[in-house]
Amino acid sequence: MADLNDLPAEPRRGFLPIHTNTFDRCFIAVVLFVAIHLFWMRFLEASLSLTVATVLSVIVGAIVIARG
Amino acid sequence: MRRDRPLAFLAFWTVSSLITLVPIYWMFVVSAKSRVQLFGSPNFLITSFFTENYINTLKDPAFQRYMINSIVVASANALLVTTLALFATYALSRYRLGGKENVFFWTITNRMAPPAVFLLPLFLLYTQVFVLGDFKLFDTRIGLILLYCVFNLPFAIWTLRSVIDGIPKELDEAAYVDGATTWQVLTKVILPLAKPGLAVTGILTWVFAWNEYLFAATLTSVHARTVTTGLAEFVTVTGTNWGQMAATAMLTLVPALLVLGLVQRHIVAGLTFGAVKE
Amino acid sequence: MRSSTVGWLFLAPTLVILFIFGVLPFLYVLVIGFTQWNSFAADPTMQYNGVENFRRLVFDEQFLYSLWLTLKFGFFAVTSQILLGYFLAQLFMRDFPGKGFFRTIHTLPLVIAPIAVGATWRLMLVPGLGPIPYYLRQWFGYDLNISRYVDQAFLATVVMDVWHWTPLVTLTMLAALASLPKEPFEQAQIDGANRFQIFWHVTLPLLKPAILATVFIRLMDALRTVDEVWMLTGGGPGAATRYIGLHIWRVVFPKTDYGYGSSMSLITLYLTIVMCWLLYAGLVARRDLKRVD
Repeated sequence: MADLNDLPAEPRRGFLPIHTNTFDRCFIAVVLFVAIHLFWMRFLEASLSLTVATVLSVIVGAIVIARG
Repeated sequence: MRRDRPLAFLAFWTVSSLITLVPIYWMFVVSAKSRVQLFGSPNFLITSFFTENYINTLKDPAFQRYMINSIVVASANALLVTTLALFATYALSRYRLGGKENVFFWTITNRMAPPAVFLLPLFLLYTQVFVLGDFKLFDTRIGLILLYCVFNLPFAIWTLRSVIDGIPKELDEAAYVDGATTWQVLTKVILPLAKPGLAVTGILTWVFAWNEYLFAATLTSVHARTVTTGLAEFVTVTGTNWGQMAATAMLTLVPALLVLGLVQRHIVAGLTFGAVKE
Repeated sequence: MRSSTVGWLFLAPTLVILFIFGVLPFLYVLVIGFTQWNSFAADPTMQYNGVENFRRLVFDEQFLYSLWLTLKFGFFAVTSQILLGYFLAQLFMRDFPGKGFFRTIHTLPLVIAPIAVGATWRLMLVPGLGPIPYYLRQWFGYDLNISRYVDQAFLATVVMDVWHWTPLVTLTMLAALASLPKEPFEQAQIDGANRFQIFWHVTLPLLKPAILATVFIRLMDALRTVDEVWMLTGGGPGAATRYIGLHIWRVVFPKTDYGYGSSMSLITLYLTIVMCWLLYAGLVARRDLKRVD
């Protein structure tokens, strides 16, 4: 995985408990995106539209990619 | 190395080996008995070998077809996989290719994915998308042969990697100096030296292809069914003809037993992608 | 190093096959998962319907139940295999007569076709034929019937998996134990550590990478188990052993509800990948994997 890491993706330590590079953080963002939507559909969609979940997970994703 | 209480050890390992062996032995016992003999209390002794279970199975034209299909699919797959993996590992070992580690990593993800997840898309692709005129990949041997590459190729590449890396590059260079082409280097230098590794890889891929069930059951219907699907059919079709089911299962087992003798040392390295060497 | 074009040419057939039969199905399932496509429905063509499938999925009790079952199965099977496998590996570290022979026997289950393993255990456990229910009744008066009792069926699949795969754990642990350095153990003994302390503070940390790698491989395989269970219990009684692979294959697949089945496959894949990654990144400390080359 050396070549991928040599791009702009030096492993570093953010608020996440492990060292991550850009690819890892994008991956985590996508995983969270899906997870938030699934849980939203199951528990919250009756009261709040799914669009809220999308906005929320985009924000969470952005934070993870920028700061994680 | 300590050598203490050999008798206790011997006793322990005998018991533990019996636990491993008894289920298989019991299957053999069932396969060697008639329906009447199986009534009543279980008897682990075979007084008279009841050959009819085996004869009926071997005479059954459906089973013969399954057997031939299995042999053809497994052998063709092993040959194809070993050849392609030799090319691939040679390229990965001797050429400077960008993203080499990604290729290695990506191949392994192909093996880790749950097969049930791919049943539906593969079934649709085989029946509706990969169609040329009248020809469909569905229910063909070639369809299975190509599909089995998905989990066998990663395995073969990871096994052969260390074999090819272990052949000194100086040998290649010397051959190039003598004016050999790349193809000649591969066939005259690498191939002879990699032969033992290739044999092990080939045999293990053969077994994996032989053992596969889920895809064979889903992506074939009549013509390309394999032995493993035949064995599963026994449960649903013949109900409780245990003797013949056991005989079929024993026949499915034979190659595995042969293989165990041949490549025992390499099985674990194979199953763990070379993560564990013995 | 020679020209990389030739290198890529050698690699091409492999990449093409893996793409067509590995990546393409994935992309395909990704598309179908967001559509309504059922060949028995009023409109049998494929139609985009957004997240409707997933909305149905999160309330599908059968699906959630088989996911839960699969996790339970994976947990019990892998835990027992690791404990038992480690124990056997420790014993294999000793020197005793017939070691090679016993090792060969313990490798045997690994090469047997899963479907044949299922057949073997069915013959062992089926009431009226198998010796296990017979002797349990004779000696202990215990009624074992895996086609009637839910817990027994579950336990039977776990026992079968343990029988089938513990040898793999044993052999990986054995390889790991054999490659451990001697010095830390000698040092610990000089320091007067007792057996348990040595195990806890020396052996376990040194073995951690091997144990995690084994857990990783075994768990991924346990979660995809289909063949053996299908052969042994057929997913029953009821849905007691209908693990996720079986559920997709036997329940969803025959309904030809392609869109819904695809979304279910996608979620299963998603969960597998997440678990895979959690094990890989969270436990096998990231820095150990970095800069390998």
